[in-house]
Amino acid sequence: MSSVDKSSASPENPSLLTGRNWLERLLISLITKRTPKCREVVRLLSQSMDVKLPIAMRIKLRFHYLMCAWCQRYQKQLLALRKISSALPEHVDDCCSEILPDSSKERLKQALRERKPE
Amino acid sequence: MNLPHTGATDTARQSSSSANPEALVDEHGDCLYRYAVMRVRHPEVAEDLVQETLLAAVRTQTSFRGTSSERSWLYGILKNKICDHFRKRAREVSYTDLEFLEDEMSHKFIDQGWNHDLGPAEWKPEAQAALDRKEFWETFRSCLDKLPPRVADVFILREREDMDTAQICDALRISQHNLWVMLHRARMALRECLELNWFERKSTMNRETDEQRR
Repeated sequence: MSSVDKSSASPENPSLLTGRNWLERLLISLITKRTPKCREVVRLLSQSMDVKLPIAMRIKLRFHYLMCAWCQRYQKQLLALRKISSALPEHVDDCCSEILPDSSKERLKQALRERKPE
Repeated sequence: MNLPHTGATDTARQSSSSANPEALVDEHGDCLYRYAVMRVRHPEVAEDLVQETLLAAVRTQTSFRGTSSERSWLYGILKNKICDHFRKRAREVSYTDLEFLEDEMSHKFIDQGWNHDLGPAEWKPEAQAALDRKEFWETFRSCLDKLPPRVADVFILREREDMDTAQICDALRISQHNLWVMLHRARMALRECLELNWFERKSTMNRETDEQRR
């Protein structure tokens, strides 16, 4: 528990138990027992980007978010990552500055000269 | 190729490069090359793919009817060539380097859950705002380059080319389970890398040097 105690609750650093009343603590311990651990949750979240998870698991994840802002954030960031990746084609020129060396261009032209359309 | 729809008028409407296939190299060579490098990450391979694309383009030029731009037509051919390339390569190498990240990531979790100092940080400014920044894409690319090549392949096919998992498994000859493991690790690593090198870079934002846009 020591690692929990030393952290303070803030959006930057969400904490599990500090500043909660007994009922909330009870709920948290229930959720902790009934939902997968974060290590497993992030694996499932990745999987959920590729296949639809069973409904029971999706409900479990919802409950898990109630007490774990990190996993929820992680999930949002996976979606953002997808958005970023799919925007990549329009930004190829931004991220890559490679140009074909002149020698390669000559080689390509040579290849084209040798192979004219039928 | 056997489209009835060809003729002098169509040919005339095509850009100058129809008359002179070599002009394709000057007009589109760099763009196609960049697009290919981005995906296959090996300059020599990219160059070969560009060559195959241009040859195919010249061969099937009659099927280009000027409805889409010449460049997106070429991109379409290139994309197929890239898929073929991955298919071919899958036969040559086995996709097994899965130990990647296993150790690197385990410190992020303690028994209860996330290690509190290492959990995902809030992304500020939002990812959406980053998309218009040239520097962001440079960061993204360098993050992608840090992944083991095969893991990056899988990520790109899934998230960029939007192939479904069955298609990727088929093309790369890997099991569904392996695919999920690789995607999971790729996402984890990229998320982490972007967070460290872009979203938490606020303090060093002014060190950006070249603002020149092409």
